[in-house]
Amino acid sequence: MMSATLANTERRMSQQVQFDNPKLKVNDLNFYYGKFQAIKQVSMDICANKVTAFIGPSGCGKSTLLRTFNRLYELYPGQRAEGEIRLDGDNILDRKQDITLLRAKVGMVFQKPTPFPMSIYENIAFGVRLYERLSRGQMEERIEWALTKAALWKEVKDKLNQSGTSLSGGQQQRLCIARGIAIKPEVLLLDEPCSALDPISTARIEELVHELKEDYTVVIVTHNMQQAARVSDYTAYMYLGELIEYGATNNIFIKPKRKETEDYITGRFG
Amino acid sequence: MAQTEHSLKQYDLDLEGLRSRVLEMGGLVESQILAAINGLMSGDIRALDAVVAEDHRVNALEVSIDTDCSHLIARRQPAAGDLRMVLAIIKIVTDLERIGDEAAKIARMGKQSQAHPRLPRAPTAPIQHVGDIALGMLRKALDALARLDTVAAASIVREDFAIDQEFLAIVRQLITFMMEDPRTITEALEILWIAKAIERIGDHAKNMAEQVIYIVKGTDVRHTTVEELEREALN
Amino acid sequence: MNALMLGISGFTMAFGLFWLAWILLTLVYEGFSALGPALFTQMTPPPGSSGGLLNAIVGSLLMATMATLIGTPIGILAGTYLAEFGRRGWLSPATRFINDILLSAPSIVIGLFIYSAYVAQVRHFSGWAGAFALSLIVIPVVVRTTDDMLKLVPDSLREAAVALGAPAWKMIVFISYRAARAGIVTGILLAVARISGETAPLLFTALNNQFWSLNLNQPTANLPVVIFQFAMSPYPDWHRLAWGGAILITLGVLGLNILARAMFRR
Repeated sequence: MMSATLANTERRMSQQVQFDNPKLKVNDLNFYYGKFQAIKQVSMDICANKVTAFIGPSGCGKSTLLRTFNRLYELYPGQRAEGEIRLDGDNILDRKQDITLLRAKVGMVFQKPTPFPMSIYENIAFGVRLYERLSRGQMEERIEWALTKAALWKEVKDKLNQSGTSLSGGQQQRLCIARGIAIKPEVLLLDEPCSALDPISTARIEELVHELKEDYTVVIVTHNMQQAARVSDYTAYMYLGELIEYGATNNIFIKPKRKETEDYITGRFG
Repeated sequence: MAQTEHSLKQYDLDLEGLRSRVLEMGGLVESQILAAINGLMSGDIRALDAVVAEDHRVNALEVSIDTDCSHLIARRQPAAGDLRMVLAIIKIVTDLERIGDEAAKIARMGKQSQAHPRLPRAPTAPIQHVGDIALGMLRKALDALARLDTVAAASIVREDFAIDQEFLAIVRQLITFMMEDPRTITEALEILWIAKAIERIGDHAKNMAEQVIYIVKGTDVRHTTVEELEREALN
Repeated sequence: MNALMLGISGFTMAFGLFWLAWILLTLVYEGFSALGPALFTQMTPPPGSSGGLLNAIVGSLLMATMATLIGTPIGILAGTYLAEFGRRGWLSPATRFINDILLSAPSIVIGLFIYSAYVAQVRHFSGWAGAFALSLIVIPVVVRTTDDMLKLVPDSLREAAVALGAPAWKMIVFISYRAARAGIVTGILLAVARISGETAPLLFTALNNQFWSLNLNQPTANLPVVIFQFAMSPYPDWHRLAWGGAILITLGVLGLNILARAMFRR
């Protein structure tokens, strides 16, 4: 059994990926659900304009980690985060941080497509209206832009007044992505965005992620390793709340440094 | 390499099956080389014929193992160590098949040189020597693959230098021979081709060793210097 | 075995339906003759002369409307608190518990309460007292349905709104209410249907009024008490009018239920 300091050194060594100007910098993050510690001393840099994937078995903390980036956990009592997460240098976990401003910069798309019970037009306009006052023409432009970027415009441009819930699953998810993009965030968090979708919709969204990284920093949580391999530039492997290994996706999938990572990736998981 | 088992037992069996078939092919190729060189030395035409005939088995094994590899990639999407193993096996199998071809070539040359009468003894002893080294290298490479031993793999690379030196020595000897007595040229040239074939066997064994290092360390050490290779292998 | 159980449940269902059918048939048979334009245009008559139920109908409508206007906002806001904010602590479970008690409280108790708290204080019966009593019946129903319907709205929807940066009130108004809209309206309609037929609370509060009056500060005519009064009397034309009133109430409740169901399906 390794001593605590040796384990710490191992941990530091696994976080070898450093960037000059990371978009997000996590320092010694700990997260608790009541008494249970779900994230243990995680530190990592998220590179700007790249796709970073979090992988790991169920319960490893990857979704929890993702949700600290926009402080979504604050909806629920008993959940708390300790440590630092710096977005462009500012600590977003600080009490004084304006949460609405944070969520304007950091958007999120969830596992289950969640169109609001409104028309497609209203779905997107809702988010935009939270921050900007646009004329009708400007709003329509913004909606068209967002839907085009989400590869949905052609399919819905004639039925913008139909309810968002009338779309297929894959379309709904793309609507949610359009909704998230419309407010022009800088970071996009995707929490298992394809797990409720069929393979064709999944492929469309993966392609979308690839295009999105030109303008946004994307962090994606996925339980599908091959998806992480296809889509991401950097991959972080987590287990039981710890960051086991973090590196360029090519390296992780061809020659991981840690045996735990190798075991998980090759399916030798007990 | 991971000692733990795959959650999918069949996957483990598939990988193990691949590895043992490669070793089986290696064993076959080893015996081909042995038979070819012995047949050459002893002049046993029937043995040499057998070697040429057996080469088709070596070729069939190459095709079969490559097919199994492509099935495994398609169905299992191997990653990390498993992926490196499969990629290396595909390359190793190519090298083994070429070694088999060289053995068949040696056997054919041997048959040819039996066809005309023996002139003043051409230097066949060095052939035996160089053949032994090459055979040793092949055995070591297969052993390194079986045990995933990078130290053994690194030493094979050094031995390849030795074979290259020996080959040059043989060439010089043969040149002297040919200059002394032009009637020996035909036979000397045949010995030259045989020596060249053996030198190529050494090269292929070295390639296999480089693949073993790739499997274990994940680094591609082809076309690097010996020092860099040893640094990778022995760390 | 299956056939036996099928047989038993079929029989009991027929048994229940039988009584229901009898009630409805009796209602129609007895009261059909009372239905006519006179019912809706003339006042409650003294015994012996012909008349209608206009003042009672209007009085019932007025008090029901007032009760709904008072009770609905309170009920919705309380239900919203329970569903959206009351996730932690002891206040919400306690509130829900008390609400459930109120929901099934005997309406006569509520009538007595308003009587002692209000009517006895001001020393006269009034339509307002009736409206207050009815609103005390509306509130628990609306609280319960609002709470339940809002709880049905998936948290993922709320998270999506919050992740966009919506403040809590916008999330509740534009997302939660929008999503639970049909259910909440159904709850209100059901509450109205419930109070349409309540007699006991009105006995102590609005009492009754033979004459036309729109002043809720006076005793107000209403259908249930009129039916009570006329049915207990010895006069046949009053009996007829009572049956007519009963049909009206039944049709009204039926209509509200159908409306509620139609809305919910959408």
